[in-house]
Amino acid sequence: MPIHEEHLIRPENIKTKENLVIDGIDVSGHWSTFIESRVVTDYNEAIEDEIAALPGGEHIHRCWQCGSCTNSCTVNAVNADFNPRYWIYLIRMGMESELLRDKDIIWQCVSCNKCTYACPRDVFPEGVMKATSHWLELKGHTPKSPSMVFDEVFSEQVIETGKIEEGRIIRSFFKRTGQPLMQDWLVEMVKRMVLKLPVKMLFTLGLANFVRPRTSNWGGARDAIKEYAAEKHAEQRQALGLDELVEMAKQEVKPRLPEAAE
Amino acid sequence: MSQPVLIVGGGPAGLAAAHSLATVGQKSILVEKEDRLGGAPILSGYAKLVPSGEWAKDAIGGMVERVEKSKLVTVRTGTTVSEFGGQAGNFSAKLSDGKTVKAASAVLCSGFTHFDSVNKPEWGFGTFEDVVTTTQVEQMISSGQGVRCPSDGRKPKRVAILLCVGSRDRQIGREWCSKICCTVSANMAMEIREELPDCHVYIYYMDIRTFGLYETSYYWRSQEEFKVKYIKARIAEVTSDGEKLIVKGEDTLVKRPITIPFDMVVHAIGMDPNVDNMLLSTIFDVELEPHGFIGKKSSYGDLGATSRPGVFVAGSATGPETIDDSIAQGHAAAMSAYALAQGAGKIAAE
Ligand code: SF4
Ligand code: SF4
Repeated sequence: MPIHEEHLIRPENIKTKENLVIDGIDVSGHWSTFIESRVVTDYNEAIEDEIAALPGGEHIHRCWQCGSCTNSCTVNAVNADFNPRYWIYLIRMGMESELLRDKDIIWQCVSCNKCTYACPRDVFPEGVMKATSHWLELKGHTPKSPSMVFDEVFSEQVIETGKIEEGRIIRSFFKRTGQPLMQDWLVEMVKRMVLKLPVKMLFTLGLANFVRPRTSNWGGARDAIKEYAAEKHAEQRQALGLDELVEMAKQEVKPRLPEAAE
Repeated sequence: MSQPVLIVGGGPAGLAAAHSLATVGQKSILVEKEDRLGGAPILSGYAKLVPSGEWAKDAIGGMVERVEKSKLVTVRTGTTVSEFGGQAGNFSAKLSDGKTVKAASAVLCSGFTHFDSVNKPEWGFGTFEDVVTTTQVEQMISSGQGVRCPSDGRKPKRVAILLCVGSRDRQIGREWCSKICCTVSANMAMEIREELPDCHVYIYYMDIRTFGLYETSYYWRSQEEFKVKYIKARIAEVTSDGEKLIVKGEDTLVKRPITIPFDMVVHAIGMDPNVDNMLLSTIFDVELEPHGFIGKKSSYGDLGATSRPGVFVAGSATGPETIDDSIAQGHAAAMSAYALAQGAGKIAAE
């Protein structure tokens, strides 16, 4: 059956059953077409708390929806669908499915912090964007973004050695994101560095690829940072109920095991 | 010997006027139709007042005590004025107990009447037990009982407060803003969250009017410290699925219809003109302003002047008013009334 003004309806809300028989009458195909309701029937209060438990999301509950963040946003200027104000609202009201529709653009925040300076309530929308991307990853809705992988490689190295060594960071980053090491821009950069940099510096840089430089007596600091990071991760996992999810999945799998054995 | 001042109404404004007059040695007669002094904060059992945070029974109770102890104030509770005649400086009032009193001037502090929520039947008051008014919640708090669903006494897990019930609504002929309900509701939301930290509170608003300094201490604080949620929507109707109340409306910010289950719905009821205003207007021969409150003659001449020389007005008799401002107006109108009582008022009254 034709739907008038079909463009007003989200395609995924138009449902059609291939095979459907109701009271003996075959209503398969377009005869069974119906439009799913857009009515919000409940608030999910957990999502705001989950985002607030992640770094950057702490002040989300302050938002009063003025739109200053969206108006000042760098990314919104090129993509009107990038709307921090709107996502903050969805999170606060717990409209999860609506938020997930935008999961592939939320991470595009460039952390320019223009919103941070515009926000009259100190919500720190940039932080909320970061926390939301993080939340999407932790919950398995999106893969790790390249920038998250970079942050991980970077912090792992700093924690391990107390030093930043660019060559290694770039190599590990490319490896983990499956990119080739020989990239045109990188080759060009190294070429120019060889031409322009003083010999001593080049030597140190080159050597660092073989002998890993470390801050002396770093061990104590490293262990303390690691312990702190582990503590924070555990807190976040708990706030998001991730361990419970894993437990639940295990419970669901267990009863099937004896069956399989039979 | 000067004549006394007649004060009509023993709420915050009337109590302030009587006290003010007593401090300068002026006699007054305070007539109150109910059997106790204190007005709405006492008679309706308010909890903590905005913005002092003091319990109504202590704050207003203290004002009552002060007046009752004063030798210069004659208190007549359970009494109304049935006739009023004469001129500024020399009035005569017949009371409902048959007595006649002389007065140099009069101050009307007759207050307001709470909006009756049954006049908005679509919002479920009177149909569903767990739909209550801000006044009822005030009573739950002030009695020490705590915020509970009237139907079964359970602690609510989710409460909706609907603003502007009986205010800003042409459908029911009430076009005014009741001024204080936004602030009172923000305060109530915080009190609920404090008593029941697991209970989520949602406020449905058209505008938030926590004027002046109330902005930070009520609106911001309720959001920032108590995580109260504000949703811009005027609710269409409150129904029930047999278990929970169902609040229907449009979430305007996301342009989506909503039908959300709640344990309790609170109507932030507004301030109507006192139901007796027509009568008061006839007896005292004072004009009402277009909404039905007692009209003020001018803000820049005599404090609290009405259309009739020698009769003054103060507090929420003039329109929705805060307790603090009602008290200030009571003091101010007392000044005008005092001038007449001292005989110096002849010129002022003209
Ligand atoms: S930090 Fe992100 S959300 Fe904020 S203005 Fe910049 S791009 Fe937009
Ligand atoms: S600028 Fe701040 S208060 Fe305004 S919508 Fe954005 S986050 Fe909310």
